[in-house]
Amino acid sequence: MTWLRLSLKEWQRRPLRTSVTAAGVAIATAALFSLLAFQRGYRDGVRHELDRLGAHILVVPKGCPYDAASIALHGASWPCYLKSRYLAEVRAVRGIAAAAPVFMAAVYDTTGAQSVYVGVETNILALKSTWQIEGTFPEHDGELLVGADAARRNGWRIGQQVRLPALTGQQGTVTGILRPTQGADDTFIFMPLSDAQRRFHHANELTHILVRLTHPDKLDDAVAQLRGCDAGLSMNVVPLAHMFRSIQSLVNSTRLLLGCIALVALLAAGTGVSNTILMAVSERARELGVMRAIGASRADIFRLVWLETVQVCLSGAVLGIGVAFLASRLVEHWVRSKLPFAPTDALVRWEWWIAAACLGCALVLGSIAGFLPACRAARIAPITAMRRAEGWA
Amino acid sequence: MSGSTGQNGLIVSAAGLTKVYQRGREEVRALHDVSFEIKRGEFVAVVGPSGAGKTTLLNLVGCMDAPTSGTLALFGKPVQNLKEQERTRLRREQIGFVFQHFGLLPTLTVAENIALPAFFAGRDAASRVDELVFKIGLKHRRDHRPSELSGGEMQRAAIARALINQPGLLLADEPTGNLDSATGESILDLFEQLNREGLTIIVVTHNRSLASAAHRQITLGDGALRLQP
Repeated sequence: MTWLRLSLKEWQRRPLRTSVTAAGVAIATAALFSLLAFQRGYRDGVRHELDRLGAHILVVPKGCPYDAASIALHGASWPCYLKSRYLAEVRAVRGIAAAAPVFMAAVYDTTGAQSVYVGVETNILALKSTWQIEGTFPEHDGELLVGADAARRNGWRIGQQVRLPALTGQQGTVTGILRPTQGADDTFIFMPLSDAQRRFHHANELTHILVRLTHPDKLDDAVAQLRGCDAGLSMNVVPLAHMFRSIQSLVNSTRLLLGCIALVALLAAGTGVSNTILMAVSERARELGVMRAIGASRADIFRLVWLETVQVCLSGAVLGIGVAFLASRLVEHWVRSKLPFAPTDALVRWEWWIAAACLGCALVLGSIAGFLPACRAARIAPITAMRRAEGWA
Repeated sequence: MSGSTGQNGLIVSAAGLTKVYQRGREEVRALHDVSFEIKRGEFVAVVGPSGAGKTTLLNLVGCMDAPTSGTLALFGKPVQNLKEQERTRLRREQIGFVFQHFGLLPTLTVAENIALPAFFAGRDAASRVDELVFKIGLKHRRDHRPSELSGGEMQRAAIARALINQPGLLLADEPTGNLDSATGESILDLFEQLNREGLTIIVVTHNRSLASAAHRQITLGDGALRLQP
């Protein structure tokens, strides 16, 4: 027999009540685990997505910069446009290594499936240093560079002449296929800028300009110049590093609020555990008295009851972590539907340290919650064993 | 059986034992000036009407409670002023308890219940448990839970538990109180067998045959000693 085994036996006495108590801890731990995993996944996801964009600055039409950034990253139709002539002013700014004009449009076929067409020039390659292309980059009208997922979904191969999805009667030739980037680019269909503008009837208009600096330190100066140029009043200059910080700040504020809620849930669960164990101690007073009579010390009884409490909390925590892990896709889907700027990467990313932190919290919670019942149990006098109550073996 | 004895082979030596409980503002004198001695190997029955102080006396002799005044020596050593830890150690090492309500833990098997005092003493008692279940005739019930046992079997298991640490003194509080007369007789036989093997036994009982089987009786009435042959 071991102390752990002896304390585990208590589960058998009232399995339903103990399980319900552990479930309270499980819910609180699941919330904490999801919160920590989400915070980690979201931060990394946003950072990777902005890195994949390859730009330091995003120049977009006037409007909400977050909406514009989200559209540029994930692909959608733009509500308004930039004049192509702004590009010259952007390129004239000191410290800019490359300014890539982009025209993006999203269209839907009869089944509701979305296709995103992106018109670009060859200088986009100066920003997309991680791109690996099988075949060639499209340089002439009618040529297409297709993202890995889009090529797979449509069953396209290099050299194939294809009908463009959701663009009735229009065709193109696949000259290149992007190797998977793990980002939204995998779903896009790229074509020369002029071709995209013509197909969507927006000649001399752009949806956004991706700007890469010669050095990231020149960000503030470049942003000031862009905002101060003649076209500055007609466009929104979005420094992506600032946007990352703003998004993180927003998420951190939300995390603080959710963290407080998770903490309150944990404290409530701890109070529930403490109350349940106190009741159990009260019900088992004579039994604990018998243990004292036959040789258990006060410390032995304290250890036994404390272990029972810690065990309930740790079991609940393991259950909560398991449930949170299994439900992470569901949580991710829900969170994604609520966030204005959700990266395509996994939002909920768990790591071992997060599980360890949750178990640590449960251990601390169990230790604190078990203290009062354990003290109370340890104070039970051996003569309690002589009580003549009914209904006990 | 373990446990040394005092002068003249005394296991228990009580002089002027008094126990007063406070019940609200009222003082309840449960025991008053009780003196007696019990020698090694004796089988003593404590008898008397309900409320006479029998269980209080057993609590004091079992080091579960401290006397208000008087002296009490167990195995030749005064125990009335022992600290809690020392009393716990004495209970664990030298005294075996048998309760009217058996006091078996419902979640443990017979073997685990029997091993419990040894576990608290930090000893591995597997072979001793095997020896005891065989001795009390519960080998076939070794891995059963108390709820699967009859009253007599439960009390046998409780007696085995009391013997696991090889105590020098066995205290029993109404050990046949919850048993039918036939089962009570078998428990009496077991006590007599243990006493013949040298174990000192003190039994609080209302059971006449159990009391008459003892070497002598200590009779209490209103917390005082009435007769000590």
